[in-house]
Amino acid sequence: MSRMFDIVFSSTIETLEMVFFSTVFSVIIGLPLGIILQITDTEEHGGLKPSPVINSILSRIVNIFRSFPFIILIILLMPLSRLILGTAIGTEATIVPLSIAAAPFVARIVESALKEIDPGVIQAARAMGSTNTQIIVKVMIPEAMPSLVSGVTLTIINLIGYSAMAGALGGGGLGDLAIRYGYQRFNPSYMVAAVVVILVMVELIQVVGNKISNHLIAKR
Amino acid sequence: MEITLKHLRRNYGSLHAVDDVSLNIPSNTVFGIIGRSGAGKSTLVRLISMLERPDEGEVYYDDKRVDNLEKKALIDARRRIGMIFQNFNLFSSRNAAENIAYPMEICGMDKGSIKKRTEELLDLVGLSGRGNAPISTLSGGQKQRVAIARALAVNPDILFCDEATSALDPQTTRAILSLIKEIQKKMNLTVVMITHQMEVVRDSCDYVAVLDAGRIVEEGKVADVFANPKSATTKDFLSNLTSVHSSVVRWSKDGGRYTLRFRGSKTDAPILSTVSRQTGAIFNIRAAGVQIVNDEEIGIMVCDIGPDKEIEEKAIAALEENGIIVEEEK
Repeated sequence: MSRMFDIVFSSTIETLEMVFFSTVFSVIIGLPLGIILQITDTEEHGGLKPSPVINSILSRIVNIFRSFPFIILIILLMPLSRLILGTAIGTEATIVPLSIAAAPFVARIVESALKEIDPGVIQAARAMGSTNTQIIVKVMIPEAMPSLVSGVTLTIINLIGYSAMAGALGGGGLGDLAIRYGYQRFNPSYMVAAVVVILVMVELIQVVGNKISNHLIAKR
Repeated sequence: MEITLKHLRRNYGSLHAVDDVSLNIPSNTVFGIIGRSGAGKSTLVRLISMLERPDEGEVYYDDKRVDNLEKKALIDARRRIGMIFQNFNLFSSRNAAENIAYPMEICGMDKGSIKKRTEELLDLVGLSGRGNAPISTLSGGQKQRVAIARALAVNPDILFCDEATSALDPQTTRAILSLIKEIQKKMNLTVVMITHQMEVVRDSCDYVAVLDAGRIVEEGKVADVFANPKSATTKDFLSNLTSVHSSVVRWSKDGGRYTLRFRGSKTDAPILSTVSRQTGAIFNIRAAGVQIVNDEEIGIMVCDIGPDKEIEEKAIAALEENGIIVEEEK
């Protein structure tokens, strides 16, 4: 029993590690992408610095990455992991494809959160003589914060699902546990344990995410 | 600061939103620009306030041309003007004081001075002690007060009001307008007030320009325009005003072919009786009242004149001789 606990525990830590780092990296990549997508959009859609060329190229790249089946994306990105980390196997190596798979998702979430901002507010900021950078940093991001928090919550939950898949391809974590111990060794108790831990994790993150987002809205 | 517009033009496709507008907005006044929706007011204010560039024409603040500024100069110039809007356009992520602080923050003012100035401004607009209030907890009037404080934070030379009272009830509108007038005097501002409400022009403006289909159809001192409107658009605005204004009482729905306007001292004189005796005309009064325009009283009387065509014409001539403006409804 304690052996099972140890195994489930260390798998949980691996999943948390994958999810945490891939969330951080996907936000680091996705946030600027989302901002660029929004500010290069047409003026009618609230673009600060419309650029149809950049916008359509970026938009297409994001769409391609988003429509790729994740399992294929991991395999395709294995060489990239090897290039960055020297290995394509293990928890750390999985963070690369996870981050890259989630980044376009984050970009779209950021873009749509920024689009929701009342254009009048941005016009007011412009009329007061704000530079574009000031508008982005001091107006757009703070104004969109509740939606951004909800978006990141959703990203984390998606990444928990993705990480289970990635685990099966050599990344470890709860997905790997469920498949190797639960499925291949016919040990349903491991399967159940892995699923329960994932469910609890998702539930917790959803609750905390909603709390933060609601708190931000209530303060307004 | 004086604003001069020279032959401004702005087209959206085939629509002439602003069509050859030339205007001189004197320094230190409240200048109203009135028009129906779609008349081009919003485009015009965006052109004057450097938010949009005209297709043709020039905009001058005093002697400085501002419609063709480079990016850096444009941002500097924008920091010298203030603007308030119909929907207030406050930052919901900031409380009242932080909203007022924003224009000072972007200019790189230090925290201490910002704090001090914010307190002063809250005081000025009558919201002392409400600095920590989240925007959503404020009423419409209070939101507009915060917006005014924010617009005045950097001591601008010009304040643009884009339909600033259109989302407010009549009482709040009056309070906000008197606040703007008060501040205008205190800070020697040039105020440009865009509106579709003649009440706003009547209660707060010194000058007015009437905009229709992208063109200025009439302009002048408010009292002059109210007493003697020339264009159909202006008359239309004024007639709406008359019908809704509480001091004009109409006791008959029919008739009322003539509208007589009495200015200033003539409001008191017994002109109607005098004319009636001289010419034998019979006046059938349908509605009457007094409007206060910029501290000047303008009397309005809607009536029919009888008994026949000949006497009617004589009576009108006599009235006009006495300085009364007679307008015939067609």
